[in-house]
Amino acid sequence: MPSPDEIKQRIEASIPGAEAEVEDYTGGGDHFKATVTAAAFQGRSRIQQHRLVYEVFGSEIGGPIHALSLKTLLPQKTPTL
Amino acid sequence: MSSQPSSTRDLPMSSAQPSPITEAPVSGGETNPIREAITEAISEHKVILFMKGTPEAPACGFSARTVAALQSLDVPFAAVDILPDPRIRQELTAISDWPTIPQLFANGELVGGCDIVTEMHESGELAEALQ
Repeated sequence: MPSPDEIKQRIEASIPGAEAEVEDYTGGGDHFKATVTAAAFQGRSRIQQHRLVYEVFGSEIGGPIHALSLKTLLPQKTPTL
Repeated sequence: MSSQPSSTRDLPMSSAQPSPITEAPVSGGETNPIREAITEAISEHKVILFMKGTPEAPACGFSARTVAALQSLDVPFAAVDILPDPRIRQELTAISDWPTIPQLFANGELVGGCDIVTEMHESGELAEALQ
């Protein structure tokens, strides 16, 4: 059974530049809630953004991960060079 | 709150007379009747929700929240219960490339699941997307 920390790390490892906050939604270890901030979401619809995150877990969604509630955000500040 | 046109009788549409899928309709050349029934239902209903349970008795909190968002907008929608046959979810996910339930479609397109519908409802975008 995945831990919130494992889910966070897998999201951050799979989506370049992503920062994720993950919590166990119900305390039962199979409903998670993730807020993911990533520049990779730029120019994508909400559906496409959520798909990017779901793709990290493939068929685990609906299996060991019963539910992964998502909120996707774009980084607020662009670094000035 | 939901409608049941006779043309989608192959799916467990929410209505006073539910008709869960029992057997695939027999007709030559149709290799995947469930997928075809889903595709047909999506194209024939302006707003259609695939959910666990029915709008009157949702079987999952995420489905319940999505139904509540639709009902608060007073938008008529068709509802399909995916629970009676696991093949419905399997085929739906193959069509939509979306792993979770519920799934809301409007005008033939996937609007989103519970998170997106809730977010759009709160921002006021949902009503527009369902027009």
